[in-house]
Amino acid sequence: MTISKLLVANRGEIAARVLRTARVKGIKTAVLRHSSEQEGPAHLIADEVVTIEGSTPVAAYLDIAQIVEAAQRIGADAVHPGYGFLSENAAFVAALEKAGITFVGPTSEVIDLMGDKIRARAFVEERGFPVAPSAIEDDDPATFVERSRTVGYPLLIKPSAGGGGKGMRVVREDGALEAEIDTARREGERYFGDGRLFVERYIERPRHIEVQVMGDGQGNVVHFWERECSIQRRFQKIIEETPSPALTAEQRDEICETAAGIARAVNYRGAGTVEFIYAQDGSFYFLEMNTRLQVEHPVTEMVTGFDLVAEQLRIAAGEGLSAAQADIAQNGHSIELRICAEDATQDFRPAIGDILLLDEPRGEGVRVDSGILDGGKVTTDFDPMLSKLIVHGRNRAEAIARAREAVQNYVILGVTTNTGYLDAILAHPDFASGDVSTGFLAEQADTLTAPGEDVSDLLMAAAALSDERLVSDVMQIPEMHRKMGGWRN
Amino acid sequence: MRRIYQIDGEETECWLSHDGRSMILNTPDGAIPCQLDAAEAPGGYTLRVRGRTYDMRVAVGPDATFVHLNGQTFAIGRVDPAERLAGNDGGAVDDRIVAPMPGVVVSVNAKAGDQVKEGQPLLVIESMKLETSLTAPRDGVIAEIPFAAGDSFGLKATLAQLAPEEE
Amino acid sequence: MRRIESQIDTNAPDFKANHAAMSERLKEFHARQHATRFERPQRDIDRLARQNKLGVRERLKLLLDPGTPFLEFSTLAACREYDGAVPGAAVVTGIGIVQGREVAIHANDASVKGGAWYPHTVKKIVRLLDVALENRLPVIHICDSAGGFLPLQHGVFPDRYLGGRVFRNQVKLSQANIPQIAVVGGHCTAGGAYVPTLSDYNIIIEGTGAIFLGGPPLVKAATGEEVGVQELGGAVMHTSVSGTGDYRAATEQHAFSLAREIVSQWKRTPKTIIETATFEEPYYDPKELYGIIPKDRKTQFDMREVLARIVDGSRFHEYQPDYGTTMICGFAHIWGYKVGILANNGVLFNDSSLKAAHFMQLCNQNRTPLVFFQNITGYMVGREYEERGIAKDGAKMLMAQGGSVVPKFTVIANASYGAGNYGMCGRAWDARTLFMWPQAEIGVMGADQAANTMADVKIRQLQREGKELTEEEIAAIRDPVLEKFRQDVEAYTSTSELWDDGILDPADTRNALGMSISASLNAPIDDPHYGIFRL
Repeated sequence: MTISKLLVANRGEIAARVLRTARVKGIKTAVLRHSSEQEGPAHLIADEVVTIEGSTPVAAYLDIAQIVEAAQRIGADAVHPGYGFLSENAAFVAALEKAGITFVGPTSEVIDLMGDKIRARAFVEERGFPVAPSAIEDDDPATFVERSRTVGYPLLIKPSAGGGGKGMRVVREDGALEAEIDTARREGERYFGDGRLFVERYIERPRHIEVQVMGDGQGNVVHFWERECSIQRRFQKIIEETPSPALTAEQRDEICETAAGIARAVNYRGAGTVEFIYAQDGSFYFLEMNTRLQVEHPVTEMVTGFDLVAEQLRIAAGEGLSAAQADIAQNGHSIELRICAEDATQDFRPAIGDILLLDEPRGEGVRVDSGILDGGKVTTDFDPMLSKLIVHGRNRAEAIARAREAVQNYVILGVTTNTGYLDAILAHPDFASGDVSTGFLAEQADTLTAPGEDVSDLLMAAAALSDERLVSDVMQIPEMHRKMGGWRN
Repeated sequence: MRRIYQIDGEETECWLSHDGRSMILNTPDGAIPCQLDAAEAPGGYTLRVRGRTYDMRVAVGPDATFVHLNGQTFAIGRVDPAERLAGNDGGAVDDRIVAPMPGVVVSVNAKAGDQVKEGQPLLVIESMKLETSLTAPRDGVIAEIPFAAGDSFGLKATLAQLAPEEE
Repeated sequence: MRRIESQIDTNAPDFKANHAAMSERLKEFHARQHATRFERPQRDIDRLARQNKLGVRERLKLLLDPGTPFLEFSTLAACREYDGAVPGAAVVTGIGIVQGREVAIHANDASVKGGAWYPHTVKKIVRLLDVALENRLPVIHICDSAGGFLPLQHGVFPDRYLGGRVFRNQVKLSQANIPQIAVVGGHCTAGGAYVPTLSDYNIIIEGTGAIFLGGPPLVKAATGEEVGVQELGGAVMHTSVSGTGDYRAATEQHAFSLAREIVSQWKRTPKTIIETATFEEPYYDPKELYGIIPKDRKTQFDMREVLARIVDGSRFHEYQPDYGTTMICGFAHIWGYKVGILANNGVLFNDSSLKAAHFMQLCNQNRTPLVFFQNITGYMVGREYEERGIAKDGAKMLMAQGGSVVPKFTVIANASYGAGNYGMCGRAWDARTLFMWPQAEIGVMGADQAANTMADVKIRQLQREGKELTEEEIAAIRDPVLEKFRQDVEAYTSTSELWDDGILDPADTRNALGMSISASLNAPIDDPHYGIFRL
């Protein structure tokens, strides 16, 4: 089958990103827009914009019935879910299947399996892939606490239904275990309506390394090498890069082959990411598999030269993979920075405001996947990520230099963003040497948000001189009196 | 006029003057001659201060000015000291609701001890063939509403009294 | 216009000696002004703080546009009265800039005797309101006064130019469509109640401001009624019940912010247009004036050297440079404004008087404001000059001067004696502003001359009684008279009595004139017309 009309069931930068490739492939395109939502780049690219309604904008993007109905109404034969929202929702996939619409992604069974961390882990472990020592409450709730103890400390408690770091707790000593389990359960119930837990060994100073995989659903699976995403704040990735500075060639092959093996084991279809926790001693354990395109996929595209969305669309259309493993090589180095509307000096409080001036960086090796337009408005309706800045260099040092130059020249005025914070991370010597872990941002929090050189008089001068009322008030003073200044006789 | 600028939570009162040659930024710390010229880039300006030039981008929002300088973005909160005082227009709020004219109480919607919000209707009166709703002048607790529906009252009668605000 | 070529050698011993003497005088002058403005007994400062009031200088700061000049009048008024206990006559007046507009300001200084009105206070306020009327300047009154100072009520209340004149002038201002705002930051009792009520707009500061014809004690005495300040005349009552007050301000800051907002509502009336040029600082340093003004008043100096340190670019177009040379006449610019200057370079003779009269008519015809620089000991006396008609030539000069329709400004730069003061636009002749330099003197004649005249009368009387006087006895008669005269002619006496609008540091003259001329152009200039010139 071929895809003639694609509905992108998403918004922001990823919708624009997917639409661009679809358009290049000659596919008719449509994208969603909530009735209260600002116009974004995606709405300008898509052939058609479908208005959706909901009690909140997010609720509209999660409304399976409404979106399936919209897809049918406009005659879309495929839906790309982007990431987030319904991208890993098996019910959505099932509803589309029922409606005869192709879901650009894996089967609902695979989504179901990988969406449940406990089942996914058991599946991976059974097939001989490395997982961290752990205890799953569901296996035998009565012995959960005892089994947790055998995992060894430090350990990490996670809600089975969780994600995004919510409800996770580190326990370093036996005395605190039971109390922390109780707290984690309450949080799980509150956030996910599901208090089931599991614990696993907590790796000290771990790195987060993940592997991009792609399968055709016909048993063929390739990997597009790894990405390192250790620069995280509260389990949210901030900066991603590839190749990982931590891996030797052998380790790289090993971890990538492991990921491909896991994908093969589920006869994976589409784009997926297998995430590992990587210990300082070189050992690594399966963390989870994300059955969708990742936010950070562009760094993979930059070093491999493949358009992963194009691959997704090929696979969805039944055309299979465009390349064999041997054709996929890493060239140079790529880094992605997530530009977010948040105030790093105010505990990363989400920022809102009107985008008064937007001037995105351009140039060799610089790519911006942006979800905003000049004159737009940033609200708290959605995730604070505004865009992604991706750079490519011949090596890591060049990539860092380019990333710094680009992020410094990323002009977004009107809403506070984390560009200064991102630059501070890039400038940190430990980042330059690659000596980081997922705890890096927390450990360096004070250094990274330390105020720079005091330029407040320059800022005040700029603010005052651009302040029309202030200037006109001065200019309405007769020239002679202005010139006399504060003279007193 | 003056402005209060807020940078990283620090407030500075500033004003501009002009000595016939250049603008001067005045702060409590001193006077700085300065000049801002438009440059080519969108929102681009060149600031000249103390013999040095700085390329910057500037955008003026409703409450803050945003500046991109040396690769960093800054938000400078902008407050008109007069607007800060504007909340005081009419002076301090009275604790009493005084009858604007003689009339009859139509209904009473609150009672002593009630916590009320500013603007919340407390009672409706009728006077000169018009019904008027009298509202709480501020958030607070009702100390007394001495009239009931049907009662008549004279000019300047205290129709409701709020408990004094605690400092 | 050509630049005046200065002949001054700033390294000459004379210059240095003069400079040192003037610097010494100015040190004292600035110290006295500073004390008058800022130094108050601690108890008065404490009282204001207790009353939750700002001082008058802080109030001005809140009112005026930041970074703009304020021309203060008669800072040292009453400095030789009331044992010096009423600095500035308990009131601040001047011309300042609010929202880009020139306004006249009358502000009670409650740190002095609670802002009570002394005779000199009234004189200073009336003068300010005269300035406002003549120049059509809006007035901002900052009211905070305990009322008339009762022990001196006869000097405050009954006469034509006393208390009632304040209110009369307010009425005249209103009649002339000149707006007034009163900020009530203290009590306005009895007559004082009319300052805000005769103003177009008034603002009462809640808690401190009050307006009533009779305060609580007077009400109690008169009717037995017991009533508090706030009920009787507070901000709430007046703004919500009586309608006497327009705006109720929660704080001083709020009050002055409201006043500024009100000013910004006023339409801008176009100013009178006169000839102007681009500003140019004087080519010669104004501070050199200190070395030019002789330390001995009797020493003659060339007034052109003074002009060269005041006018734009030190440029001067001299009229009749070779005729009547004791009277310098010519055109110059001050802060860009074209002015006609009359400056004394000696005694007034027939020719110099005629030259001055003619020059003033030229200026009136051309709508050129006049600036007088006085250093005048009088019109020449003696048979020859009387025969030549010095009195009728002097009369022509007075007729031309007094009949001038253009704004006039006077600087008493050194001596101002006798009828020369009249011809050169002394206080009685409606100069829009009149300032004195600190070493200058004013009187019917010089102190020595006057003392000798007085002593001679006495000595001759004693001689007629057959008394022979020794040198010592003569000195004993003359010296006390001389001492008194020396005091009486001093600038400090003049300024204490408000015969001028203030003493100026000579280096400030240019700015004071610039502000005065600019203010004067808010009023129209009439067509020239004169009385009868005695030909």
